[in-house]
Amino acid sequence: MKKIIYMAILGGLLLQGCKTAPAPAAAAPAAPGKEAKVVEMNPDKIMQDSNGGNCYSCHTIPARPDVASGNIAPPFIGMKERFPDIAKLRAAIADQKVFAPDTIMPPFGRNHILTPEQIDVIAQYIYQY
Amino acid sequence: MKKITLALLLAFSLPAMAAEMVHTAGEAETTAAGTLKAIEKHFAETMPEVKGDSFVDGAMNFSKSSKEYNNYWMMRFVDDLDQPEEYTKLMDGGKKLWNTPFANGETFARCFANGGKGAAADYPKVDAKSGKVVTFENALNACLVKNNEKPLAYDDMKTMGALSIVARKLSDGYRIKMEVKTDAEKAAFARGKDIFYGRFGKADQACANCHIQHAGQIARTEDLSPVIGQAAHFPVFRPNKATGDLNIVTLQNRYKGCQKNTLVEHPIKEGSEASNDLEYFHTYISNGLPLSTGVFRK
Repeated sequence: MKKIIYMAILGGLLLQGCKTAPAPAAAAPAAPGKEAKVVEMNPDKIMQDSNGGNCYSCHTIPARPDVASGNIAPPFIGMKERFPDIAKLRAAIADQKVFAPDTIMPPFGRNHILTPEQIDVIAQYIYQY
Repeated sequence: MKKITLALLLAFSLPAMAAEMVHTAGEAETTAAGTLKAIEKHFAETMPEVKGDSFVDGAMNFSKSSKEYNNYWMMRFVDDLDQPEEYTKLMDGGKKLWNTPFANGETFARCFANGGKGAAADYPKVDAKSGKVVTFENALNACLVKNNEKPLAYDDMKTMGALSIVARKLSDGYRIKMEVKTDAEKAAFARGKDIFYGRFGKADQACANCHIQHAGQIARTEDLSPVIGQAAHFPVFRPNKATGDLNIVTLQNRYKGCQKNTLVEHPIKEGSEASNDLEYFHTYISNGLPLSTGVFRK
């Protein structure tokens, strides 16, 4: 019986990769650093780019009424109180699913939508609010 | 040995089958009727002001500006003096396709009962032999092929999109009356449901994220519409965000748009089996609602 469980776990582990590519048309995993594009480092630009952070799509910054923003996710306010450790904020941007499995928030780090450096400048930017 | 083989089979097939899901209303239900009931219950709680046929109006139920903008365009569609040029052109193209007899003298109207009146309400359905979903657009192309004409490309909105609007307008007001009874129908529903609740693409988002879990909320400038009612009003006319020109968008073309927004690198395309499966599930979720085609949507 032990052997069976062991083999089942092994089989499951071997196929972990499949889980991230569930699309009916086989989805290729993101290839980080493949394109030689200049990486945008201006946090505000990254946050507005619908192919980048697109943060404003769901979050609003009450201090930035000039930017059109959605109301799906919590506003960026009191960030220091909510995230005493900025590392936790970075981790949430990288993969919020770790903290909330059913979240709509894209895993910006895990799926290489943003680089770790971009995630860092965004974390620092919103930390001021 | 048998046990080991079984364990291995399970271990290999389970992860492959299970796209990560969004655990929101309807996902856990095992039947089509149960799924719809759970989604209806969710919206009864989250948007109690939206009832019955008004679901077809989608986001306009909770966005006044959206409703006003929509009314402005819909009034122009029927205004002889102020009809948008692209609207006239696209509709004329669709009418020409529908009305012009094929080389053999046959017509689209003769491919359907009652000259096509109410025909769109019979789709999508499952072909009992192949188990595959057949959409109304598939039936339009089947009519062409049967009459030795070339089928239209499902992603060509100026031909297939326009023809679909003209043909579907003959079913405006007819109610969606799908039944998921046979094993093949149940399987098609399950395939479509897996796509709807499954997370895809770099954004790792599911249809259910926006159109159940967060329906009624705002993404940047767009109100997220509830899944109920969506499939009842396609194809739509929609302005190009960059140029402002009116375009036709079929339901499956809209799926591609959603997938672009959610960073899906290899989207399911118009006319694909996967899109058909999704349409099957999606249309069932609008069961009982009246069809209304060729409407304006932002």
